[in-house]
Amino acid sequence: MKQEDLVIYEEQIEKIEGALKRLIKDAQAKCVLLVDKDGHLITRQGFTQSLDTTALAALLAGSFASTREIARLVGEPEFSVLFHQGKKDHIHITLVGERTILAVIFDDRTTIGMVRLYAKETSEDLERILSLAHREEAMAKPEGKTDRGSEFSTSLESRLDDIFSEQP
Amino acid sequence: MASINYAFKEISCKIVFYGPGLSGKTTNLQYVHLKIPAKSRGELISLATDQDRTLYFDFLPLDIGKIHGFSTKFQLYTVPGQVYYNATRKLVLRGVDGLVFVADSQKSKMDENVESLQNLADNLGEYGYSREKIPLVFQYNKRDLSLLNSVEELQQALNPKGYPHFESVATKGVGVFDTLKCISKLVLDQAKRKELFPDRKMEVVEADKISPERTPSPVATAGQATEAAILSPADAPTPTAQTTVVEEETVPVAEKRTTPREVAQENEPEVGLKVEEVPQKEGDPMVQPPRQESPTVISWSAGKSGKRAKGRGFFLWRLLNKLLNR
Ligand SMILES: Nc1nc2c(ncn2[C@@H]2O[C@H](COP(=O)(O)OP(=O)(O)O)[C@@H](O)[C@H]2O)c(=O)[nH]1
Ligand SMILES: [Mg+2]
Repeated sequence: MKQEDLVIYEEQIEKIEGALKRLIKDAQAKCVLLVDKDGHLITRQGFTQSLDTTALAALLAGSFASTREIARLVGEPEFSVLFHQGKKDHIHITLVGERTILAVIFDDRTTIGMVRLYAKETSEDLERILSLAHREEAMAKPEGKTDRGSEFSTSLESRLDDIFSEQP
Repeated sequence: MASINYAFKEISCKIVFYGPGLSGKTTNLQYVHLKIPAKSRGELISLATDQDRTLYFDFLPLDIGKIHGFSTKFQLYTVPGQVYYNATRKLVLRGVDGLVFVADSQKSKMDENVESLQNLADNLGEYGYSREKIPLVFQYNKRDLSLLNSVEELQQALNPKGYPHFESVATKGVGVFDTLKCISKLVLDQAKRKELFPDRKMEVVEADKISPERTPSPVATAGQATEAAILSPADAPTPTAQTTVVEEETVPVAEKRTTPREVAQENEPEVGLKVEEVPQKEGDPMVQPPRQESPTVISWSAGKSGKRAKGRGFFLWRLLNKLLNR
């Protein structure tokens, strides 16, 4: 596995959010989250106000990671879909490409079948969009040396002082 | 690895607290959670057994606000220390941007410390991560107890190459924030070096600073609210509430009051560090921080491969002096 930062550009996010909005509409879901496998939330759509999406992202990634280990132990390359059934709300989780996870939260206004169908479509769309992101990242990276080192360093320092200095 | 979102101007980094069972990793996070104001942190989530032992991980998200216009977040994780939890411990390491090794200073725990450090090296190796590129800080915890190893003994056994280290009493909070601040800075300096805060977005950043009213990110506005309204008219959010960028105040003052201090740093004497070699750089090292190819200051201690760390160079050396001399 390579050490690679996940970089999302503005142009990508528009396309990603478009795809997520379509998914919500088509599948009649409540909300969707797109999460980096390392647990960082990439973006979300739909009704997420009442959700602690940061924590959710970390836990979804953790859950997916452990499921993947379980798969390995039973001799499966990967469980590509994960489904948690609740009393009211359910979560359907799919892998998007190599390093992102799409989680759809829905209730009984729709069905698992609908969600599965559209989540699969969407994850294919997203995979395309994200791989585009990677390509552009590779192209954008090498040049453009920056001369803001010192300014950055001190602004960072004072910021960390502010936050991490203990209250009396 | 870090996740950078240029649309939301957000950067998110993962810091993992590693170490043997009961060394105080969870206590570190609990203290940080207790002391940091609620607006800068999320909830502390612990996946623990009935006996309060970490089963999978603890998780604490921090939002330290804007740095160079980027909303900057840290995700703090701990791993379960017990030897038999290696499967889950390894999963938590995935995508790590910075490491804090929390060692138990008690004499009786030295073997466990060494074993855990070796396990860390092994797990990083299995992921194919190049260990030298991941910032690392040591914390020698439980300094309040008796029958302790001296710091010199700990340094020799765990950290012969002199990564930054701190003494701590995590239960009382001693050393906790020093450790956190150091690793945060190393991680963000690394992100900076990798040019994850790019110049090409600077115009946007400056504009932010000038106008006191934050303009919400264009991609995270009305469309979503409409969508939500269709789904759930009763509790539809207002458009203003629906934004993915975490609320925080820009702090132009903090960002500007910096230059004099920085200049002062230039003349600081070099003190108190076991530095192997001090890289000589032509020109002003502050203007052009050394790249990955530059000479080594510090190298990894636990690994068997004996590979040298590359490239933190002068930048880190300065930083260490700064932090250790405060
Ligand atoms: N005396 C003392 N006890 C500590 C210190 N830090 C942690 N502990 C205690 O050590 C035990 C294990 O701590 P914990 O944070 O759960 O360890 P973890 O397994 O590394 O997460 C708890 O009972 C803590 O209260 C310290 O600095 N001094
Ligand atoms: Mg613990």
